[in-house]
Amino acid sequence: MAKKLMKGCEAIAEAAIQAGCRYFFGYPITPQNDIPEYMSLRLPQVGGCFLQAESELAAINMVYGAGGAGARVMTSSSSPGISLKQEGISTIAGAEVPCVIVNMMRGGPGLGNIQASQGDYFQAVKGGGHGDYRCVVYAPSSIQETVDMMPKAFDTADKYRIPVIILADGLIGQMMEPVELHMNPNPTMPEKPWAAQGWDPKGTRPRAVINSLYIETEDLDTLMTRLNARYEEIKKNEIMVEKYHTEGTEYILCAYGTVARVCKAAVRILEENGIKAGLVRPITLWPFPTQDVHDVFAQESVKAGLTVEISNGQMVEDIRLAVNGIKPVEFMGKGGSIIPSAEDIAERIMQMRRA
Amino acid sequence: MKNYWVLLGAFGSGKSELALNMAIRAAKNGPCTLVDLDVINPYFRTSERGDVLEPAGVELIMPPFALDKIEILSLSARVYSAFTPGEGSVFFDIGGDHVGSVALGQYKPHFSKIPKENLHVLFIVNPMRPTAADLESAYATLEKIKFVSRLDVTGIVNNGNLAGETDYTHLIEGYELVKALSERTGIPVWGTCGTQSVLDDFDVYAKEHGLDERYIGVRQPIEVMMHRSWEKFLNEGL
Repeated sequence: MAKKLMKGCEAIAEAAIQAGCRYFFGYPITPQNDIPEYMSLRLPQVGGCFLQAESELAAINMVYGAGGAGARVMTSSSSPGISLKQEGISTIAGAEVPCVIVNMMRGGPGLGNIQASQGDYFQAVKGGGHGDYRCVVYAPSSIQETVDMMPKAFDTADKYRIPVIILADGLIGQMMEPVELHMNPNPTMPEKPWAAQGWDPKGTRPRAVINSLYIETEDLDTLMTRLNARYEEIKKNEIMVEKYHTEGTEYILCAYGTVARVCKAAVRILEENGIKAGLVRPITLWPFPTQDVHDVFAQESVKAGLTVEISNGQMVEDIRLAVNGIKPVEFMGKGGSIIPSAEDIAERIMQMRRA
Repeated sequence: MKNYWVLLGAFGSGKSELALNMAIRAAKNGPCTLVDLDVINPYFRTSERGDVLEPAGVELIMPPFALDKIEILSLSARVYSAFTPGEGSVFFDIGGDHVGSVALGQYKPHFSKIPKENLHVLFIVNPMRPTAADLESAYATLEKIKFVSRLDVTGIVNNGNLAGETDYTHLIEGYELVKALSERTGIPVWGTCGTQSVLDDFDVYAKEHGLDERYIGVRQPIEVMMHRSWEKFLNEGL
């Protein structure tokens, strides 16, 4: 299909529909309002259902219901709204229900602002809700990558019966870029024999119960063992990472999402100045590309690393765990919504080099 | 008598870009006011371009708090000053789709006092936008906008573009769409806009293929000042 000029939010919504998403439940918040807006227009056209819930809590529990019934379902919000959804996300994880959740991160904590931010890394990657669970977290860095990622997001959610989070930021949501959509009027849907689609009194299939309450210790242990085995499987199969000019390089930038795009520009500036630099960009934040990051830093040529985020430093902790002390890793970034420029990042590397 | 220009269209059709360009050009020939009536989007407002408007001599009327990045915008009482008698031009930049055009409805008593020849209501079309890509959706948007804005559209504008990847073929797609829309509605095509080089390429094609001049209209060269490109984000944030 020829390219269209699309806003990130619109492109994500359309890509979800092309991936088979027919249900969307949400509640408005800037800067992601264009997703529900677009869904409200498009879902009725494809025989789906859009519903603006009375609150974020209601929305995420509608997602739980539709996902439990076997539908491909999505919700989206922005940071404060995602906080409100955490109880539901924990329930969904415990009940092994697949769904896709988009977070267009804005500045926090609290109501923060409506500019782009990366302050929700911990929330998405380390939990957010209570209990011992994981969500697969994708961090796209352009509108096109987000669009390309949506079928994968739904497939992964279904394959592992797990909530999948698209962790983007306000930039990706609000920016407008030419984008190529993959039109797929009849997306194939996997069989979901576990889904609650009505009891058959003839007993041709086992009764499906969607539930996250396991009162007996042994029962909960069975669930946790099952979930843990699944998480290990995901770590084995689903890690995605981009390595940009990392071979034989001296300085490694680490960043995800839109900041990684700025870092690429910084790498080019450094190379023009004769400094060997590269970028490691985790595309999945969980599972985290621990080994890939370690291997890049383990190269003899590498002197040090610099993690850049629009936060006070969150992913940098996972980078340091991956590097495990074999090379120094510095951090550059600010909480709120100040995005460092490519020149500033390059300058910081030059300072590290002089030190 | 002032000349009034109201720019309407689907979300992301290029209204603000055209409003900025037209206002800056008009300011060379007399007093010029640009009224930012966008109640939809807290980002990418013409109000943000005070840096280019002021030196160009364009008076900017913007909603209170427009630059505070808050989520709910109100309309300034100063909007009424745009309707006072005088000379020059007034441009109204309106929010996208019919939801944005609602902001115009309350000014109906003022618009209805303007003589027809002084009121230009333009409907901007970009077929590269998925929500306005074909005749049916463009027509539906036009009808809804007419209804809520309580204004008659006097001209259609071809603004076929794919941001930084634009070439003349996008104006050809736009030409086909505005032609069909004009034939359906009886509303004339007012003009075609794009950067100068894209317009030149389109003109060559139009001559070679005998495109109908009635559906091309005024060539309106524009400089890109608004587009929400990656580079702009890096320099200015959202």
